[in-house]
Amino acid sequence: MEKYGIGQPVRRKEDVRFLTGTGTYIDDIKPDNLIHAVVLRSPHAHAKILDLDTSEAETMPGVLCIVTGKDWVAEDFQPMPTKSAVNKKIDGTPLNQPPRHAIAIDRVRYVGEPVALIVAETLVQAQDAAEVVEVDYEELEAVTDQIKALEPGAPQIWDDIEGNFCIDFELGDKEGTGKAFETADHVVKLKLRNQCVTAAPIETRGAIASYDKDTGKYFLQNATQNVHANRDTFASVLKIPSEDLHHMAPDVGGGFGAKNSGYPEPSLLLYAAKKTDRPIKWIGDRNESFAADTHGRDQATTVEMALDKDGMFLGLRTRTVGNIGAYCWTVGPFTPTGGSARTQGGPYYIPAMHYTGIAAFTNTMPLDPYRGAGRPEGSFQIERIVELAARELGMDPVELRRKNLMPADSLPRKTPMGLDVDTGNFPEVFERTLKMSDRAGFAKRFEESARKGLRRGFAIAPYLECTGGGPKEFAGVKFGKDGSATLRVGSMSTGMGQETSMPQILSDTLGIDFEKITYVQGDTDATPIGGGHGGSRNMEVGGSAVLQCAREVLVKAKQLAAHLLNSNADDMELKESVFTDVKTDQNVSMADVVAASFDQSRLPDGMEAGALDTDTIFEREIISCPNGCHSAEVEVDPETGTVQVEHMWIVDDFGTIINPMLADGQVMGGVAQGLGQALMEEIVYDEDSGQLVTGSLMDYALPRADSMPKMEMAFYEDAPTAKNPLGVKGSGEAGCCGAPPAIVNAVLDALKEDGVTHIEMPLTPEKVWRAIQDAKQQGA
Amino acid sequence: MYEFEYHQPKSLEEATKLFADADDPQFMAGGQTIIPVMKQRLAMPSDIIDLGKISDLQGISVDGGALTIGAMTHHNEVAGSDEVRKAIPALAELASHIGDPAVRNRGTIGGSIANNDPAADYPAALVALGATVQTTSREIAAEDFFTAMFETALDEGEMIVNVTFPAPEKAAYEKFPNPASRYATTGVFVAKTGESVRVAVTGAGACVFRQIDFEKALLGDFSPSALDGLTVSTDGLNSDLHASAEYRANLISVLAKRAVKHAG
Repeated sequence: MEKYGIGQPVRRKEDVRFLTGTGTYIDDIKPDNLIHAVVLRSPHAHAKILDLDTSEAETMPGVLCIVTGKDWVAEDFQPMPTKSAVNKKIDGTPLNQPPRHAIAIDRVRYVGEPVALIVAETLVQAQDAAEVVEVDYEELEAVTDQIKALEPGAPQIWDDIEGNFCIDFELGDKEGTGKAFETADHVVKLKLRNQCVTAAPIETRGAIASYDKDTGKYFLQNATQNVHANRDTFASVLKIPSEDLHHMAPDVGGGFGAKNSGYPEPSLLLYAAKKTDRPIKWIGDRNESFAADTHGRDQATTVEMALDKDGMFLGLRTRTVGNIGAYCWTVGPFTPTGGSARTQGGPYYIPAMHYTGIAAFTNTMPLDPYRGAGRPEGSFQIERIVELAARELGMDPVELRRKNLMPADSLPRKTPMGLDVDTGNFPEVFERTLKMSDRAGFAKRFEESARKGLRRGFAIAPYLECTGGGPKEFAGVKFGKDGSATLRVGSMSTGMGQETSMPQILSDTLGIDFEKITYVQGDTDATPIGGGHGGSRNMEVGGSAVLQCAREVLVKAKQLAAHLLNSNADDMELKESVFTDVKTDQNVSMADVVAASFDQSRLPDGMEAGALDTDTIFEREIISCPNGCHSAEVEVDPETGTVQVEHMWIVDDFGTIINPMLADGQVMGGVAQGLGQALMEEIVYDEDSGQLVTGSLMDYALPRADSMPKMEMAFYEDAPTAKNPLGVKGSGEAGCCGAPPAIVNAVLDALKEDGVTHIEMPLTPEKVWRAIQDAKQQGA
Repeated sequence: MYEFEYHQPKSLEEATKLFADADDPQFMAGGQTIIPVMKQRLAMPSDIIDLGKISDLQGISVDGGALTIGAMTHHNEVAGSDEVRKAIPALAELASHIGDPAVRNRGTIGGSIANNDPAADYPAALVALGATVQTTSREIAAEDFFTAMFETALDEGEMIVNVTFPAPEKAAYEKFPNPASRYATTGVFVAKTGESVRVAVTGAGACVFRQIDFEKALLGDFSPSALDGLTVSTDGLNSDLHASAEYRANLISVLAKRAVKHAG
């Protein structure tokens, strides 16, 4: 059993089907009588809809139904709610939240906004009909940059929201921070951006909706990360009770936050399914994924740091303006406000901190969480200002970081941002990373690069982040007479491997055969509640629910074992799938206990057949604090500006590691997306027209295998958290926090002799080359 | 994709007849451009005439100092061909970096040059090596073949049969890939053949072009340093999301020097 226990690198059992093409993704599902839908989307960033004529399209072959904003008004369907945890402005008034309907009513506010849903017998017929829907637009001026959107005279996206202002927010000690800056020996200031990026999951979004007129119930299969919350959203839009909508996610091919949200399309499909009395499939294509999947980051920030003459940090002041796009999406306003505030300052001891965040509307696809949602932004901000401070003060950046890390004995500590940091050892993690990084060999590698005409640089970036997402989670287990078990969990995997790691916890705790555990997720009928995935919560909250459930089963199993052995439950010890009475040495196997649980004649009074079946809900009280340290060595070609990340060394403190192979995978994937943000990814809208320029993989650059560095990874496992019974801190988003600052600072280190001090992400070849040219000219 | 008629002729004559008889026909070689374009509904040919089964368009042969490659030869065949590696290693090298493995398994030399994408790799090789394009009706010198962005000297219904490359003394191709598409942001093919040096640039302008001042400098001294001090004008160079004209001008210089060094 230990082979499948907690801490074992068990190979992912789902990979057999994923890698042999036998998974069931949404487009693999083909119900009888299926019809197809396409979404007609706005070609304009901002326009009034003067007229929308579907009369010709309705006569096209195979067309069954066309849904427009007129239907939405006639049916009085409701806007989709925003669930931002920060929802009041600094002055106490509620955030400006315009109605977000599933379909444009009389105005479009971003390229890609749904204008009509066309349903036909075949996909081609739906596409043909979409081409003859006539929409008469009156174009309006558009603004896609949040700073410009807040300027006087900017185009107004909402008539009743002045200045495109959604919400402002502050956290920390404003006055105390101000004083720290007044008395400081040094003040360092930097303006920087975390550019707009998109998740680009390998499986685009898609859904199949159907309606049973006999029962009055709807059924939605959907490529989503969160079936319960989104069920409630769609039900509220359509004004039906949540229990009338069964929402399921089949295998999902990547989420990263972009499949968190309650999107418009499912409500449109559910409505059309009822109208046509047929199951309807919609599969977004890659262009729709770029235009109409929520985007992430897009924060323009000024960060200032106060230091004393010895380089000790005294204060940190951050002011961020975040773009949230044309609407408050599901939790969009939270990211640049509360979401980015909590982990400000990273793992450093900074006595005084103050954070201000503003969310602004623009004519872009709305933003929602993307892997990290605020913590990678904060990590980048602190690490860039620290690097710049070292440069300006003439200090070694490694030494400056070392002396300012929160000492191990300062924990537990509540940071000035209110983050409850319970366990960890930041100096130890930092030193281990440094030791792995082969600093002694750097000089030689630097010379080798120089001989090839290349620059070489190094940087180290410790990070501190936190988990998020829903605090409650359900886990339930049902046994079979043959010793099998079905585990149902409300958190879910979109490819991360919980089908393997969750059964590991169950197998480890109960000694049941790993191979006999069936894992069920992503189904509102299977679990009463569920938080899906997001905020690195899967193992922290979902895994803890599984452990809690397993422990509750164990209590009952011990009672039953004791009954079978005529002894006391307290004397039962479970080892290698066998219960042994520590006093008499009598024993009974777990498999036999499970079998007995179905045989009334073998059960004690008060236990019914199936007595071991257990449902439980775990609730997290305080979010956890994953932390760690990345270091990177890069090579820069000064003639072309090309950056190659040569090597990364990473030590992570994720608390208890359930499956190191999967945790490694999380780090590597996070680094790939972090490297993408650092070097190549950017959603670009045309400044004047508001058109999406990076609407396909021909223009939106994603990292490939040959972009990736050699990576050496290790875990610091000596500081499990007491905030949950598993002791896990969460691993999903950490890679995105550490990689961008490590890589960007390493490039700047490589170019320090050239006099380059800052380059905005992404560090594309041209930007790097231009920075070198500009520095040359300034130096001349 | 719109509906269309699909044909797979076995001979050039049959293909010519099918083309003449159709309303709005389109020849298809490897389909690596036309299929994505059709999937986006940006093209709606009435008939697709797939040239994949015509044996006259296949094959690689060497005759004296000249290498002839059939129009329907896939990139991976060129990349892996012993004849090509022996005669013009730079051409095999170029073919091995076109697109990705899937593209190289389907895409063809004939399809690539007939499309004349301004960021394609092959046009630089044809122009620098002084290749000749044999069509169903005539021979066209490479320099006359590529006329403008996505345009060639091919007439309506005219097909490329093969391309003949004289083997150079020295040649090399250096490409700076677009980080997203991995087409050439800029690519420079340098070839020295007898008393002639040619430098052909792709990806930087609307159509492949020769960098004449570089050629003159290299004629007397075929070494990277011969290009020192020469600057490239930004006139006519592309500016887009990934590279400004100024940056492309820099790439032409850098890549040309590297190609000369690489050619040895």
